[in-house]
Amino acid sequence: MSATEFTPATQLELSRFVAENAQNQRQTLCPVGGRTALHFGFSAPSPGVQIVMSQLNRIVDYPARDMTITVEAGLRVDALQATLANERQRLPVDIAQAERATLGGALATNTSGPRRFGHGTFRDYVIGISAVDADGRLFKAGGRVVKNVAGYDICKLLVGSRGTLAVVTQVTLKLRPLPETSAQLWLTFDSFQEIEERLAGLLTSQTRPVAIEVLNPAAAALIAASARCDLPANAPVLCIGVEGSKREVEWQLQMLTQELTGRGLLESRQVRDHDADRIWEALTEFQTCADDPLTFEANLRPSQCMTFAERATDLGVAVQVHAGNGQVIGQLLEESATIDQTVSILNELGTLARSAGGNLVVLHCDSAWKSRMPMCGAPESSWPLMKQLKSKLDPQGLLNPGRFVDAAP
Amino acid sequence: MTTALAEPVPTDARPQKLLDRLRSIVGDAGLLVEREELLVYECDGYTVEKKCPDVVVFPANTEQVVAIVRACNEFEVPFVPRGAGTSLAGGCLPIGGGVMISLTRMKRIIEVNLRDRYAIVEPGLVNVHLTQHLKGSGYHYAPDPSSQGACTIGGNFATNSGGPHTLKYGVTVNHVLGAEVVLPDGTVAMLGGTVEDVPGYDLTGLFVGSEGTLGICTKVIVRLTRDPAAYRTMLGVFETVGDATRAISEIIGAGIVPAALEMMDQGIVSAVEQAFHFGFPLDAGAVLLIEVDGLEVAVDEEAQRIIALCNQSGAREVRQANTPKERMLLWKCRKQAFGAIGRLSPSYCTQDGVVPRTKLPEILEFITACGQRHGLRIVNVFHAGDGNIHPILLFDERDADQVRRVLLASDEILGKCIDMGGSVTGEHGIGVEKISFMDKLFAPEDLLVMKSIRDCFNPTGRCSPGKMLPTSAGCGNEHLPKVKPGRRAAM
Repeated sequence: MSATEFTPATQLELSRFVAENAQNQRQTLCPVGGRTALHFGFSAPSPGVQIVMSQLNRIVDYPARDMTITVEAGLRVDALQATLANERQRLPVDIAQAERATLGGALATNTSGPRRFGHGTFRDYVIGISAVDADGRLFKAGGRVVKNVAGYDICKLLVGSRGTLAVVTQVTLKLRPLPETSAQLWLTFDSFQEIEERLAGLLTSQTRPVAIEVLNPAAAALIAASARCDLPANAPVLCIGVEGSKREVEWQLQMLTQELTGRGLLESRQVRDHDADRIWEALTEFQTCADDPLTFEANLRPSQCMTFAERATDLGVAVQVHAGNGQVIGQLLEESATIDQTVSILNELGTLARSAGGNLVVLHCDSAWKSRMPMCGAPESSWPLMKQLKSKLDPQGLLNPGRFVDAAP
Repeated sequence: MTTALAEPVPTDARPQKLLDRLRSIVGDAGLLVEREELLVYECDGYTVEKKCPDVVVFPANTEQVVAIVRACNEFEVPFVPRGAGTSLAGGCLPIGGGVMISLTRMKRIIEVNLRDRYAIVEPGLVNVHLTQHLKGSGYHYAPDPSSQGACTIGGNFATNSGGPHTLKYGVTVNHVLGAEVVLPDGTVAMLGGTVEDVPGYDLTGLFVGSEGTLGICTKVIVRLTRDPAAYRTMLGVFETVGDATRAISEIIGAGIVPAALEMMDQGIVSAVEQAFHFGFPLDAGAVLLIEVDGLEVAVDEEAQRIIALCNQSGAREVRQANTPKERMLLWKCRKQAFGAIGRLSPSYCTQDGVVPRTKLPEILEFITACGQRHGLRIVNVFHAGDGNIHPILLFDERDADQVRRVLLASDEILGKCIDMGGSVTGEHGIGVEKISFMDKLFAPEDLLVMKSIRDCFNPTGRCSPGKMLPTSAGCGNEHLPKVKPGRRAAM
């Protein structure tokens, strides 16, 4: 039987429930948002209770002219963005499956996407947080102003903590204006090494892109198809995204076209308006195309990405690279689907990532495979310290135990 | 009790064995023990409370920091890290005496990797030296506190420093990828790294701004930021502070995020004008220093929108800096405004409150009224775009009654910031100065969780005792009642 559910209607109700549980039943608790990332991390026994956050979905305070918003964590991401768009504002973090994902869940998994190059990640936008700790204590950190250094920045600690330290109940975000428009330049090159030269050149481009994506042909085909755009996908793709006023966007497209032309360039397309919106969406959703047996993310220094992408391509992986920041999202396709083949591919790529100071983490795979996969990557030197912190804040091990670094070897 | 802390610790109270050990770690040249030499280290930019450390050591590398920390633990004495001592909240105050670990000799730039947009530096590196080192590369280190000519990156890490350009670019934590830290028990931990997402908790984000209470950073990996392609720097001149704050609200409300948006009121403008002769109008109620940056094709349009919004809000005029030299001079006036305050009064006390930016008119009215109520002159120069106010209370510290009124007025202003949904510190930190505000800003549960975190890393409380949390554990950390406000500071 699956876990029982508890659906709090208020933060206080949740607080009381968790406090009672900590004293009496001591069941393990798993906070649940839109159920889009429950497969993350090590396989662990089913939790005793799923804390369903869907009713904690109120907008608490939206002083639009201050460009901040305070909302409950169970608010769906698309509902949040729609509210913000009414005021021509946004949370500029690309979040996949926004029609299901909740803000709390996205924050707890530290989701990001292509535009992290221009706008950063959750840690750059969460300025205040409320959460219930393992003892049921409702606490807060940060505040509702954009600049604040009072006390420890527990917002940072809870971003990406996957519900293992506290149940996030309410979040205050710093916001940004919506740009007037956006566009992409989609270029195919005859090799990854040609793209690497362009990436190095882009460091001193006259333009200021918000996304620098590299796709291998397999990923490019998936993304073009999912965006319903007729774009070339028969060679490695460099896709650069820009945002701003119409004038800025046009100027940048033109300038980038000039800067990137020359040897190795095969085709060049400019993607605008609704096509551009759909490309953003497809680039964001790539990591969740969950039909395939396994999706991983490698974190590398940007200069190492093309070598890695080339090798992954040879191994039959569909590869998307956030090339400005160094994340490589890889999907193993159906054909390479035995567990032994997969282990061998991930061993090779994991070793390649670590040899350059990076890491490789599995985002999603068949649950039967988990025990043999690097679900949280290889052990990092700081994990013992993190385990220590976990046991300090959750001494009974009630919050999502066994899924994250607390269960690491 | 309070006087005991302020008095020098008799030299013979220092265990000779500890001094010998420290000397064996850092050598004679890396150690200060003489009373006269130690006096320099009795306070930082917050001069209200003073306490001499028993000894100051200058480690040259991480191994020496580790050995020093281990020695302190063995002899059970408190220790506190220090950078350039520009903290305005007493973050470097050696409460309970003990060993001060000055990191100013660890100031190397270990690596600059432009392709991967990071630099690895030692904590004693002066902030501006990194940016100078990068000049011509097209990249810079974005956090630019006004004290950047003196303050260190390690100190910025500890206090999560801001600066005028944080409005668009964020504060220190937004530019730190990782750090090597020596934990209070002397072990070395690597947090984060040269890649962005290291699996696990964001301990880097937790350690930045922890004011030395979780450990001592010995290397910082910082993100480098692309230089803006173009700037437009403007000076909006307003008849009244009210008009200027309305303009700020209009600009932010219109969805424009300038690179910087700074306000100086009439009192500051006249002091700055006497010092730098920029040509500021002396009869204006307030001026706004506004900078937009971005693409050459975009900055003019943005500047025009800002000028229009300023005019709508009743600006007398909006001037533009026409040359890089004029821009530099404008910024010099702003960043060195504090140095010019000596022209206004013998002593001054700077506060660091934050309010939602639309509440600026309200808080500034409150500050004016508060000054009148207490018979004090208060001038303002601050990061308006962030809602981060810096009221400067002018007084003469020889007059005990003025001192008393300054303290009352400061507390009222910060209390009002809390009432308005703001904070008592935007960038200077809690340190010892604002420790009594923590339980006004946070509930007991909030502080308990923070205390658990500190106890996890710093269970003995021996590392930076008596800082940030009112529930401090550790040695000799009885808090001093405030006797007089800080005299000078550089923001």
